Amino acid sequence: MEFQLPEINLQLMAPEIFLFLWALAVMAFDVTTKRKSSSTAGNLALVGLAVTGVIMVFTDQGRGFGNMFFNDSMAVFFKVIFLAAAFMAIGSSFGLTHTRILNHRGEYFGLILLSTVGMMFLASSSELISLYIGLELTTIPLFVLAAFFKDDRKSVEAGIKYLVVGAFSSALLLYGLSFIYGLTGTTDIAQIRSILAHSAVAGFNPAYQESTPIMVMAVLAILGGIGFKLALPPFHQWVPDVYEGAPTPITAFLSVGSKAAGLVAFAKIMIMGLYDLYDPSKAPNDWGILVGVMAAAAMIVGNVLAIRQTNIKRMLAYSSIAHAGYVMVGMLALNSLGLASVGYYMFAYLFTNMGAFAIVALIEDRTGSCEIASYAGLSKTSPFLAISMTIFLLSLTGIPPLAGFFGKFYVFAAAIKMAETGSGLTWIYWLVGVGLVTSVFALYYYANVMRTMYFVETDSPLKVTMSPMAVAVIVIGVVGVVVFGLNPQPIVQFASDMPAALGALLP
Amino acid sequence: MSEYLSVLIFAVTGAAIVLFTFFISKLIRPHNPYPEKGVTYECAEDAIGDSWIRFNPRFYIFALIFVIFDVEVIFLFPWAVAFGELGLFALVEMVIFILILFFGLFYAWKKGVLKWV
Repeated sequence: MEFQLPEINLQLMAPEIFLFLWALAVMAFDVTTKRKSSSTAGNLALVGLAVTGVIMVFTDQGRGFGNMFFNDSMAVFFKVIFLAAAFMAIGSSFGLTHTRILNHRGEYFGLILLSTVGMMFLASSSELISLYIGLELTTIPLFVLAAFFKDDRKSVEAGIKYLVVGAFSSALLLYGLSFIYGLTGTTDIAQIRSILAHSAVAGFNPAYQESTPIMVMAVLAILGGIGFKLALPPFHQWVPDVYEGAPTPITAFLSVGSKAAGLVAFAKIMIMGLYDLYDPSKAPNDWGILVGVMAAAAMIVGNVLAIRQTNIKRMLAYSSIAHAGYVMVGMLALNSLGLASVGYYMFAYLFTNMGAFAIVALIEDRTGSCEIASYAGLSKTSPFLAISMTIFLLSLTGIPPLAGFFGKFYVFAAAIKMAETGSGLTWIYWLVGVGLVTSVFALYYYANVMRTMYFVETDSPLKVTMSPMAVAVIVIGVVGVVVFGLNPQPIVQFASDMPAALGALLP
Repeated sequence: MSEYLSVLIFAVTGAAIVLFTFFISKLIRPHNPYPEKGVTYECAEDAIGDSWIRFNPRFYIFALIFVIFDVEVIFLFPWAVAFGELGLFALVEMVIFILILFFGLFYAWKKGVLKWV
């Protein structure tokens, strides 16, 4: 048997390889040293992320490993988001190192880095199996991290729930992918697309007149699997409990990094691979309208249920469900603006949400409370935190000129542009309408936190002493939200290379 | 569709054979229950106490460490079979793989999980 080794191009994978070895080194460092300085492991992890970013600058774009690894502009864009999310999550974890994760710092930071490596592999994969492995490497460390407070019942509950849901959704996704492989005979995403488009394969009629039951099952299973990862209804029930129980920096990392990873998986499988099934003029075959319904449900469920929450982590959990809905609206707009708007949205969401969670983590660390009511009087005791939190909440609501506004603006603009192109696409107008109306609900519950911080009188206001690292993370967040809000052009420019990366297949 | 039909026939036949053998053995076996037959059988010893007790988690950790070597062997076999064709590159790859696994062992060792206290 002749065996042909695929072309190996290790240089393309240099950032991932480095970060992986660094994660092992952080863990090895922690078990071998005698724990003299409590923040060394965290500092090492931050240095590793920064060096990975520098290596990425010098890494070529291109394909390697027999087209299984694909370092394109979309991969680079999302890798920047992953690295930044990990950086800010680790930065806001420093408050924990002194108390609750004292004996397991190496594991804590090492696992965050490993999860980041998984996300980076996921963003670079152009093939179903490497994509799935990237997704697993992303989520398995997060199961452990969610349950990291071993003696806290809520944290353990969060870990177990996330484990069960994650295992179930992975199985569902893998089941769907196996159908796709069975129908097309390949795991290469670009080949899957060309086979579906150009030749009659078992189970699919290339004239798009109808998909066979197997293809429908495949699409449903994949949407279910990714729906769990992205927390789109009806697969969202795990989110509030897991977000509430997990350590707050991990919650932040889940809500930004893990969500962006789910979006990448969606873009790779559904848009790169199954694009030709998204045919607006033939509604019955169309997975687009199904995703549209899930996005609308996410916006409604997330925003309505967030109103009644008294715990700020639960509120932000529901709000993250809503934001997943908004970003899917942009994902459905398959024009050149669509993916760019998704990229910009995630970039804005990165700074906004990581910053907001950094404040929640700091306050939880100092006072042990996540209740919104306990934020009363924060504007008097620490005006810096109150103003920063206000900026983040306004950005989450989508108030100009902050980054969150332009995220929503681009997403809805892309969707409307898409709706104008096709006759069967009037439902996209409805989707945008739902988005605009539910944004008003969002203003109510975000403003409630601001009202509590500024106008509610209390006898025992919070006293929060800051740590330099937490302040640094919050400042990064504020600067990102304001600067990229006032001047969104560079990021949009950066993000608009992505559709080309998807093979220039979009109209 | 015909490819999937053979899968269906395979599954149905497999299930039918199992049910059939159960049915046959029920027909021909003698039926003579007495209490000793219902006793939990454990290496010819009388079972002591309930099995629903707390186990020391060390058992699980040892089992997990065993998995390191398990995985290693599973990958070493196909590698050894194809080694002649793959050459030096495969040797380097396998050394890296084993080093990563050994890191796991080193980590567990340093964490003190191999000590049975």
